[in-house]
Amino acid sequence: MRNTTIRGARTGRTARRRTLALTSVTLAGALALTACGSDGSDDGATDEDGEAPPTSQEGTVTVWRYFSDDNQVRLMDEYAEMFEAANDGVTVDNVFVPYDQLNANLVSAAGAQTGPDVVVFNGAEVATLALGGALAPIDEYWAEFADADQFPDSVIHEVNGETFAVQGYVNLLGLWYNADILDEIGLEPPTTLDELEDAMAAAAEAGYEGITLSALPQSQGEWQAYPWLSAEGFSYTDPDPETLEAGLARVRAWVDNGWLSQEAVTWDQTVPFQQFASGDVAFAENGNWQLGTAASDADFEYGVVPLPLGDAGQVYLGGEGQGIGAFSENPDLAWQYLAGTYLDAEGQVLPVEIVGSIPSRMDTAQDEAVTGNDLLSPFADSIAMYGANYPDGVIPPEAVADVQLTVGQAWSAALGGQQSPEAAATATVAALESLLE
Amino acid sequence: MTAPLTATRAPVTPRARSGRQRQVRLVFLLPAAVFMGLFSIYPLIQLVRMSVSAVTVGTLNQEWVFTGLDNFSRSFSGEGAPALTRTLVFVVVVTGLGMLLGLAAAITLRTRGRWSGFLLALMVFVWALPPVVNGSVWKFLLADSGLFNTVLLASGLRDSPVPFLYDQHWALMSVAFVNAFAVIPFNALVFRAALMNIPPETFEAAALDGASRWQEIRHIMLPSVRSSTLVLLVLTIVYGFRSFDFIYVMTYGGPGTATNTLPFLGYMQAFVRYDFGLGAATSVAAVLGVLVLAAVYARSIRREESES
Amino acid sequence: MKQTAGPVLTAWKALLTVMYGLPILWIVLTSFKSSGDVFSTSSALIFSPTTEAYRDVLTADLLKPLSQSVLIATGTTVLVLLIAIPAAYGLARTRGHLTSIGLALLIVLQMMPQTATVIPLFQVFGSWTLLDSTVGVILADTALLAPFATLLLRPFFRSVPPELEEAGSIDGASLMRTFVSIVVPVARNGIFTVGTLVFLLAWGEFLYAVNFFLSPGEYPLSVLLAQQVSAFGINWPGLMALAVVTSIPILIVFTSTYRLLRDGLTVGAVK
Repeated sequence: MRNTTIRGARTGRTARRRTLALTSVTLAGALALTACGSDGSDDGATDEDGEAPPTSQEGTVTVWRYFSDDNQVRLMDEYAEMFEAANDGVTVDNVFVPYDQLNANLVSAAGAQTGPDVVVFNGAEVATLALGGALAPIDEYWAEFADADQFPDSVIHEVNGETFAVQGYVNLLGLWYNADILDEIGLEPPTTLDELEDAMAAAAEAGYEGITLSALPQSQGEWQAYPWLSAEGFSYTDPDPETLEAGLARVRAWVDNGWLSQEAVTWDQTVPFQQFASGDVAFAENGNWQLGTAASDADFEYGVVPLPLGDAGQVYLGGEGQGIGAFSENPDLAWQYLAGTYLDAEGQVLPVEIVGSIPSRMDTAQDEAVTGNDLLSPFADSIAMYGANYPDGVIPPEAVADVQLTVGQAWSAALGGQQSPEAAATATVAALESLLE
Repeated sequence: MTAPLTATRAPVTPRARSGRQRQVRLVFLLPAAVFMGLFSIYPLIQLVRMSVSAVTVGTLNQEWVFTGLDNFSRSFSGEGAPALTRTLVFVVVVTGLGMLLGLAAAITLRTRGRWSGFLLALMVFVWALPPVVNGSVWKFLLADSGLFNTVLLASGLRDSPVPFLYDQHWALMSVAFVNAFAVIPFNALVFRAALMNIPPETFEAAALDGASRWQEIRHIMLPSVRSSTLVLLVLTIVYGFRSFDFIYVMTYGGPGTATNTLPFLGYMQAFVRYDFGLGAATSVAAVLGVLVLAAVYARSIRREESES
Repeated sequence: MKQTAGPVLTAWKALLTVMYGLPILWIVLTSFKSSGDVFSTSSALIFSPTTEAYRDVLTADLLKPLSQSVLIATGTTVLVLLIAIPAAYGLARTRGHLTSIGLALLIVLQMMPQTATVIPLFQVFGSWTLLDSTVGVILADTALLAPFATLLLRPFFRSVPPELEEAGSIDGASLMRTFVSIVVPVARNGIFTVGTLVFLLAWGEFLYAVNFFLSPGEYPLSVLLAQQVSAFGINWPGLMALAVVTSIPILIVFTSTYRLLRDGLTVGAVK
């Protein structure tokens, strides 16, 4: 229903939008990028029949992304080159929009019946974009995609029964350790929570910090809290104040013991890793995307093991989702772009080499680039041991942002001493019950 | 509105004529009225409409369902009430520090010379930096390993770092201080412009009478900044009531919710939780609070006018 | 007018200099660090300086954003002053309910969270084909800053002695001519100050720029600055180097208007 209205609207508006772009050219005397391309393709007709589109070989694919990190930018530039080389006359235009503005910008653009062809966004926020009408469903393309069976369910993002995005790679948290410090205190990398706590105690004894992590009161905090909370048995399927309290209390005790700085409540995920890389900290709960930082900034021996979470523990499988804009003038070309880069078996090797991300395709995950890398293989092992959908499928799409914020704030309140773990757990579970209905 | 009416009935006295002449000057408001009618009123109406409707990311681009005061009661039964208290504390600190130190800085900067010129440029330079830069710098300076704690620890004044940004009470004071820091250059610049309108002869006369510096400040400078003080006071309070970028950069409202003020809460409700209706209600409530202030402002303006 | 500052004043001045000098010093130091040195406590002051961040920032790609920033800030300042000067004068010289309502409305507009105006303005600009154009951003910035400028300017017009104007009108000059040739010159201190402030604010404004420009080639400097802050953390040396580089035009504008202000005072016969 919703689907057809959007598409019907698009056909009628294409012409108007072109004049719109042209006027603004004369008005501002500036380049209007939206005006170029798309002339050769007649998207309206092909869409509505649902037939295989004639391959249009010219046009522009506009990609919105929030990356500004050098390596991430390089990855997208290489994808653009790759696609342009394979398709004569096609240009790929990577557009930066700051992370904080991306979602709001896409939704307001959708309100004005415009937007990019491809969106690369935080996979966890797919619900916001899908509900906001900024993404087009890709079910038809996905159904005909020959390699679809190579992708595990956890990287395919559905909202209310429609598929809106597939992730080309996966990012997740592991336990980074400073091998020099472990040598000094004579311990092996931990495999259980008790071993981890013993090691932190010994490291603190020797004059080091125990661990760094992020306790920012928002979704990043929730992403970092979830492994420790789930290790105590907490889950969104049946949120229980006691397990939540146990998780919060365990990590709060690290603060009380002096293993973790209370300052963590002001840290995003970058600052704690830079602290780790400066050499005075035994452990860091951080992600595979820090490979480059570790290589350039850490002048000590380091390694990675899966987070020691026991049987119940879970680690979110994060990463960017790639979807097609709801007002793309050439969705077929946009899909070709995705299929030829992010979802392609060879294309998926690039993020491994450039950024250190784990491929989402099962075949590429067995590639030498992953299995032969001592730092990446622990992350790949973590996927098998603890991998969990991010966000959890039991959270209703419209409540995802609320749930992440609520738990992130509880995490921060408990670690920062604004509330006791017990009070934070009770209040959070009460709030979760209405959100998860 | 009543002035022209009385003017037509009463015999034309010079006073009434000047009154009519005065009202003629309403013409000068026309460009502003047209411009704001085009670009400011519609967003204002939309904000108010949003605050009484159920608007989420899914319904933003569709018809909005009217829900009455539901958003307001939801906001203020939850985080809104404690946020209001924090906002008041925050605004009092920002306004107090911002006004007093702004005026003090202006008095210092009024004198000529290289140092004053340099300091003024420095302050305006810092003021003009984007909040993300200023906020990040202060986040570093106030960190455990930051300059302030390093000095405090090294001097033996404290044996553990001051938890500037991660203790719930310290954090609110720290962000308020940094906001005041950011607003002082602005207030100083405007105060200074008012001080510069004082004719030099006034100071010369005062010097001849043997006035001390304090007397100069009290009897010459303070009266001359009076009309600027009022508008600066309003602007500083408004600034305190709408500022969220420093909180965003320095604490993100934490630890927990300890620095969640109304503007930050409104931002989060609208752009993190994508409950636009709820966020709009919080913003509208803040605007209403400031409207009371605006009424006070308008009244004191009237009084000021009847004196002149 | 030469005055010697007392010890209290000198101490206070020194404190202010440290308070505002420290952040700048820190910004400049960081801009010469490598990212590894930013967090290391041992290299807070002593580190091997690198100009890497500046080399990354100072490229030919900077020219287009620079010209965009100049265009936006200048356009906004002119437009704001064109609107706010007469409005402030009108509000300073009239009385009654209309004036009070006008003032209250200005405060309410000043209170509007900028984030809340983005979405409705996007709709307006979309239907008026102003999206993705510099004109649109200038109009939005003007709407943002005009209430602020009007409120600030009003006291300056109130302090213009009405007798000056009456003298003008006795000479037979029209209201408009009196305003332009007598009132505005007397209030120029305020106008310069407010103009400078508006310019600086428009220079740094980024929320509208990032939302209303749909093509990245049109972004002004302020958006480049925001680009250093990503979801994956902040490129500290890059951010600080860019902050230094983008602030240089600010410094030029400010020091030149400052000289104008100072000279204006000595030359100006206010009375």
